[in-house]
Amino acid sequence: MTEPLVRFHEVKKRYGSAFAVKSLDLDIQRGEFVALMGPSGCGKTTTLRMLAGLEQPTSGTITINGKVMNDVPAHQRDTPLVWQSLALFPFLSVVENVEFGLRMRGIDTADRRERALKWLDRMGLAGFEARRIDQLSGGQRQRVALARSLVTEPEMLLLDEPLSALDAHLVIRMQGVLTKLQRELGITFVYVTHSQSEAFAMADRVVIMGQGEIEQIGNPREIFRAPKTRFVAEFVGRNNILAGPVSGGVMTTAQGPVPVATADGPAQIVVAADTVSLSRDRPAQGPAIQAAFLSEEFAGTVIICYLEAADGTEFKAQVTEAQLSALQPEPGQPFWLTWDASRVHVMKA
Amino acid sequence: MTERTSVYRIFWRLPLILWQGAFFVVPVAFLAVMTFWLVKNYRMEPDFILTNWEKTLGRGVFWDAYWLTLWRAALAAVIATAIAFPAAYTLAFRMSERTRRFALFCLIVPFFTSFLVRAYAWQVILAEGGPVNAVLGSIGLGPYVMLNSGFGAMVGYLTLVLPLVVIFQTWGLSAIDRNLIEAAWNLGATPLRTLVRVILPAARTGIFVGAIFAFILTFGDFVSPFYLGGSKPPTLSILIIDTTKSGQQWPRAAVVSMMMILTLFLTSAAALRIAYRGRG
Repeated sequence: MTEPLVRFHEVKKRYGSAFAVKSLDLDIQRGEFVALMGPSGCGKTTTLRMLAGLEQPTSGTITINGKVMNDVPAHQRDTPLVWQSLALFPFLSVVENVEFGLRMRGIDTADRRERALKWLDRMGLAGFEARRIDQLSGGQRQRVALARSLVTEPEMLLLDEPLSALDAHLVIRMQGVLTKLQRELGITFVYVTHSQSEAFAMADRVVIMGQGEIEQIGNPREIFRAPKTRFVAEFVGRNNILAGPVSGGVMTTAQGPVPVATADGPAQIVVAADTVSLSRDRPAQGPAIQAAFLSEEFAGTVIICYLEAADGTEFKAQVTEAQLSALQPEPGQPFWLTWDASRVHVMKA
Repeated sequence: MTERTSVYRIFWRLPLILWQGAFFVVPVAFLAVMTFWLVKNYRMEPDFILTNWEKTLGRGVFWDAYWLTLWRAALAAVIATAIAFPAAYTLAFRMSERTRRFALFCLIVPFFTSFLVRAYAWQVILAEGGPVNAVLGSIGLGPYVMLNSGFGAMVGYLTLVLPLVVIFQTWGLSAIDRNLIEAAWNLGATPLRTLVRVILPAARTGIFVGAIFAFILTFGDFVSPFYLGGSKPPTLSILIIDTTKSGQQWPRAAVVSMMMILTLFLTSAAALRIAYRGRG
């Protein structure tokens, strides 16, 4: 295996007595699109900021290109970051913003102007160079921020929730712009987000973080279909989790016995909402549990039904509009949930 | 609906309009009219003569005082801006919110005592046998004459304006988006270049407004040049006192005042233009 571009080795970050990052070991390869994903406060932004040198790790080492970076100040690193707020300089014109990094590197005026204009052109902003930042739309600002970060031709680009301030339709468009750019440039993108759809749509590899630790690393499909921990199963997708001791292929859950194809002992299974179907009568065969209907949520082409089992556990089932109108559910009404036992994912308890 | 809104609008603006009208526009208009009046046997008579303007602006004394006042005000504004900046920078970027609030309160405390009292205090401190000369004397320096000089006046000016300038600059610096500063480092700017290229431009409005206030207050100040500057050579404020005292020349003093108002109006307008240039 080739040497990774970035290596976090036992990196810890503590603020006072609270750990923002508990112990992080992570390799990032050249040319990879990595998404760091997790709920707020999970340490994903701190991790990114440590990579940029804006925070110092309390202990552990961060290596870039085989060189330990712990004591290298931010301005001597080549790790441009795109901020959520974009952090464009309001007192500079568009082209002056893009030129900033080149100017700080002592590139002469004519050369840096040419390179900045080339990047503006590439970002579809030709003719906007003399504008002020407040004369641009949100999407245009986004592209100026990208041009400003990429003009120095870095080996990697760091992005901290760059799309979270944009309108939904722009987010989809910018996702396309970002993945295309990353492929064309062949550089590493490290992308921090709390949005599953952004991470799964763009990243080659997704790192799920929870409370300062890595919960799972994998490609979007693995994470979605085979979550390793309960945290990941609850954080990504719409999953139902059943837990209990297994004996002779039957799991004794708080909601009743459920057939499971796994060895004896304690276990957890993940049943994705899109594999669950609802019925009024108990299905003739297969696993089934009973739960009372709570509410429904329209999620575009499908509907998510929320149900509650007798022990208070919430279940989710994804149905189509036609199925919903056939069921005519009323709040409090009992339903049977069933699923294809071969499609469940078994987690260690 | 629009009718009601406009009634409300006038209602809320009324106090300001009345106040500004009664205590600013009318007096200034009166002052302007007075510049054309005649003084006869130590009494003013309404008239329309240009003599006051000709006599005042035709004298070298006026122009000497004018340039001196302008120079001192500009110098005080520059010095105050330079001295205040490190303090404001520390308050804005190095202090907790609590400490910053406490420090800003402390900067207001000097205004609890009359500026005259503070000027008298400086008279004692800067006197030939005062504490400053005593300390300097102990290391073999001085004694220096600090009172009744341009230096003494400058000490007074800075006492007057420095707290205000620090407050304005702190506001200006605190309002800077921290991400801009981090973005500058992230793009390869050293701390010094970050200061020059990002922090100063981003805080420009606060810095300019502070300097304008320093200039305005210094330009019209009478206490510093009189009690600490020895009133010679005279500034415009001292010239006004002298003119009214000698022969009740109120109209000529009004000419000096009109010139001061005009100068402040033009310089502040120009400085504010620079301060807000390129801002929405």
